[in-house]
Amino acid sequence: MDIKNEVLYRVYFLLFGLVVPVSIILMYKTVVIASVEGERWRNQGRDNYLEYRTVEADRGNILAADGSLLATSIPYFNLYFDPHAPSEEDFKKNLDTLAHCLATYVLDGYTVGGARAYLEGLRAGGDRHVVLKRKVSFAEKKFIEEFPLFRFGRFRGGFIAEKASERKRPFGLLAQRTIGYVRENAKPVGLEGQYDRVLGGEPGQNLMICVDPAADLWMPVDDLTLIEPVSGSDVVTTIDIDIQDIAEEALLRAVNHHDAEWGSAVVMEVETGAIKAIANLGRTDEGWWETYNYAVGAAVEPGSTFKAATIMALLEDGMVKLDDSISIEHGRTTFFGEVMEDASPYSPKLDTIRVRDAFEISSNVGIAKMVQEHFGAKTSTDNGPARFIQRLKDFSLNMPTGIEIGGEANPYIKEAFSSRDEWSGTTLPWMAIGYEMKISPLQLLTFYNSIAGGGRMMKPFLVSEIQRFGETVETFRPTVIDRRIASDRTIARVQELLESVVENERGTAYKLRSGRYRFAGKTGTAQVNYSKGNRGRRIGGYRASFVGYFPVERPIYSCIVVINRPRRGGFYGSDVAGPVFREIADNIFVSKPELHRPINTGPRPALVAENMPGFSIGGAQDIKTVLSYLDIPHYGSPSTELAVLRPRSDSLVMEMRSLPDNLVPNVVGLGLRDAVYVLENRGLKVEVEGFGKVSRQSILPGTRARGQNIRLYLR
Amino acid sequence: MSQSTRLYAELRGDRTIWAIIAVLAIFSVLIVYSSTGTLAYRTLAGNTEAILIKHFIIVAGGLFLTYLAHLTHYMKYSRWAPVLLITSVPLLLYTVFFGADINDARRWIEVPFVGITFQTSDFAKLALIIYVAREISSKQDYIKDFNSAFLPIILPVLIICGLIAPADLSSAILLFGACVAMMFVGRVAIQYIVLLLLLGIVVFAMLVLLGEFFPEFIRSETWVNRMRDFVEKPDGGYQVQQAKIAMANGGWFGLGPGNSIQRNYLPSPYSDFIYAILVEEYGILFGFLLIALYALLFFRATRLVTKSPKAFGAMLVIGLSISLVLQAFINIAVSVHLVPVTGVTLPMISMGGTSILFTCISFGIILSVSKYIESVSD
Repeated sequence: MDIKNEVLYRVYFLLFGLVVPVSIILMYKTVVIASVEGERWRNQGRDNYLEYRTVEADRGNILAADGSLLATSIPYFNLYFDPHAPSEEDFKKNLDTLAHCLATYVLDGYTVGGARAYLEGLRAGGDRHVVLKRKVSFAEKKFIEEFPLFRFGRFRGGFIAEKASERKRPFGLLAQRTIGYVRENAKPVGLEGQYDRVLGGEPGQNLMICVDPAADLWMPVDDLTLIEPVSGSDVVTTIDIDIQDIAEEALLRAVNHHDAEWGSAVVMEVETGAIKAIANLGRTDEGWWETYNYAVGAAVEPGSTFKAATIMALLEDGMVKLDDSISIEHGRTTFFGEVMEDASPYSPKLDTIRVRDAFEISSNVGIAKMVQEHFGAKTSTDNGPARFIQRLKDFSLNMPTGIEIGGEANPYIKEAFSSRDEWSGTTLPWMAIGYEMKISPLQLLTFYNSIAGGGRMMKPFLVSEIQRFGETVETFRPTVIDRRIASDRTIARVQELLESVVENERGTAYKLRSGRYRFAGKTGTAQVNYSKGNRGRRIGGYRASFVGYFPVERPIYSCIVVINRPRRGGFYGSDVAGPVFREIADNIFVSKPELHRPINTGPRPALVAENMPGFSIGGAQDIKTVLSYLDIPHYGSPSTELAVLRPRSDSLVMEMRSLPDNLVPNVVGLGLRDAVYVLENRGLKVEVEGFGKVSRQSILPGTRARGQNIRLYLR
Repeated sequence: MSQSTRLYAELRGDRTIWAIIAVLAIFSVLIVYSSTGTLAYRTLAGNTEAILIKHFIIVAGGLFLTYLAHLTHYMKYSRWAPVLLITSVPLLLYTVFFGADINDARRWIEVPFVGITFQTSDFAKLALIIYVAREISSKQDYIKDFNSAFLPIILPVLIICGLIAPADLSSAILLFGACVAMMFVGRVAIQYIVLLLLLGIVVFAMLVLLGEFFPEFIRSETWVNRMRDFVEKPDGGYQVQQAKIAMANGGWFGLGPGNSIQRNYLPSPYSDFIYAILVEEYGILFGFLLIALYALLFFRATRLVTKSPKAFGAMLVIGLSISLVLQAFINIAVSVHLVPVTGVTLPMISMGGTSILFTCISFGIILSVSKYIESVSD
């Protein structure tokens, strides 16, 4: 029993002398730390390693009217390598294969041995954030991520991929300046700049916890304090990517051909004022670029294109009628000793002509004399020049258009007799022909657009909608600046004049006319950098322009083309800018079937077999669908995939057309795409001549197909 | 018969100890799940479920081992003891020289072909405790003698602890302490016990010195740094401060399961500082409960000692339970900044394959003894 008791005493000593007291001490310490000193430790822990980190929002897109992306953010990755993250063993084991992969795919100009030495050098060095490659795509990142060693990830493999995004303009140059940009340390430009708030969204905030201070690895904390970034909205523009392409292309060819300083072309929708295209090209050392938005920002002397405003003022004041006679003095006169000459080749032969003729041939003398005669006098009761200026203001020619993008130039119209504006006797006649004033191409186009629109002036605009995730959140309606800038009669007269510029043989734009549609407009050839010296005027170049609208019957688009200081191939508006207008109009006309007049507007003729689409070939099911939709009587259900239509007197019959596997099939009647598909599936090589449908094939149907060349004649 | 009554009938032995195991196992799964957030974030892209499942399987496997171990008659362990002890020596030697480096410490060996790592000290610990229990019980008649009793008992203890110490000093000290406690309960003379404690301190000092010359094998630099932190910094080093912040965050009732913040800052929240995470998520009261569970385990062990008809059973129960409780208390003491940072795990709770498995076997052996006692007293 003694032994037993000794053991028990000792066990109880352990229990009550060691285990129980230690338990109590541990509990006591827990309470001290967690509760008594709790406040202090909690404070130390609170702001230690938690941090609000900004989470960048996705920037919205800029879209063309049809939804094409004009500007979008493309994510890319910058790849880095931490040479000290891998263990010695992993590093050694994978060094050779990694060097091989890097030399082959990533590091340009490195041999495998060189890459190996480079990696070893990095491992010996101190940098833990070595650039491998910048701006790689997601696909490329995924590929590189799978390299030996890298595939172990960030901590074991040392592979670091940092995401960033880049603004891309999928259409490149197209409307580049109008789309614009937002960059650090630069003035924001264009729509990107103007809609920065809308596109940019709201950056979010995320409570992040530092998981590993050494590696700067942060983990988001699931927390109610998270502020989700709000992605930017999409800005839908009015720009029609087809028209923009047409305009940019035509302008580029012209500025190139004429070696101009800059050129600008704008297409506007007459009814709404929506800008469908806006192209600006300036000469740089590296070719032609959208370096400046000349259409919006370049207020320049318009020259003859302004005569439409002048004549409109005269007509509106009832001063002249189109058939009144005026003397143009063979195209040369003087105002207060200052010589004014016509540029028209007809002028020297002409003296007394009608007002409409003066406009057609763009007679400076004729227009200026009329203005001088009717607005030149200043009496105690009537201030003629002030009336003229007021007319121009009535046409809103002194106001900026208020287009959405920044940097719009203000028009400059002198005040009558203002000494600040250096008003002189010659000011009025020269203003009449578009000098001593400044106006931007867009502002002038807005004026012409209102002529095309029957006198209603629309505010030009570029942005039609704001969208979020494809849902419209805000719509911008077209805005009317002035419901009627002049009386209907006056507008009709001016329209008539603008048409005659193109339609009449002596008109300055006569050679530009088109047989397929009619357009109206006015040429302009303004002198630039001129100076009046002792030996007459010195001219530092010309600015060719054309502004007009089409089709005249029901104007849909108006367009202005301005080409500054062409150095080659002529300088007249009709030679330099006019062809660009014509090219733009032609292409729009071709690409927009809605502009075409229906050939036959009469009642639909009774359907007879002759008009039926006989001998067409196509998918049997497709033909059936089409015929049913068009409500054309038809019957027959061929067992083959293809069917041929045969006309009957009152209906169509679908017949089978089989395509045997190893034989050359009969492809006559098929479209090229179907024919090529069918023939190449049988191993034949197809050559093509002509266009349309297959009318003849060089190898007879039923010949064994052995990979021959077959020639198709299309008609 | 319902499932639970069948299970109850199946599990023989001290029901309280069974309950303790069950509660600890549940704690283990819960806390490991929430404390592995950063581990999963780093290695498995946030896939904590994978770690949870792995840990759950280990715990379940451990409980099965407990069941098997408690079925085995405890006297069999006495017979196996010498073989187990001798096997552990080459294993430990191999570990010291060729073991796998994990967290800068060479404590593991890789089992060939299977690919799992195995902490040899866990095995050696179990083997040594069984062996010492056997020696003490067989030498009860002349236990106070130095040459015939004390020396034969202490020599294997010194050898095994000496082999464990280079890589894992704290485990060695713990094992040494457990053996000393067994000898104390086993009626070894008090003066020898005191001598042993002095010897331990001398050996520790020598190891530190040796480490200066052979840093490859002895991690004395780490120990010195940890000791210095403990002595010189009243608030504790970085890790201890983070643990304190964790407990302070928890307060009396905790932040709630899975809401730990500090798991992100504690280097091994799923093992060394798991107590701090427990308090952070479940509060001080659960901390008390955990400590009480271990104390209760030892209390039940003392009950078994009083009832045990055979000395071997008593010694075995005391050795295994004191080893578990000491380890648990040291682990908790690290978190509450009572001792320097050691790196011992919280038995049954911390993540770590072999640690849990051997702890479960230890429980199984204790239960085997209690089962025998029950059957005798019935």
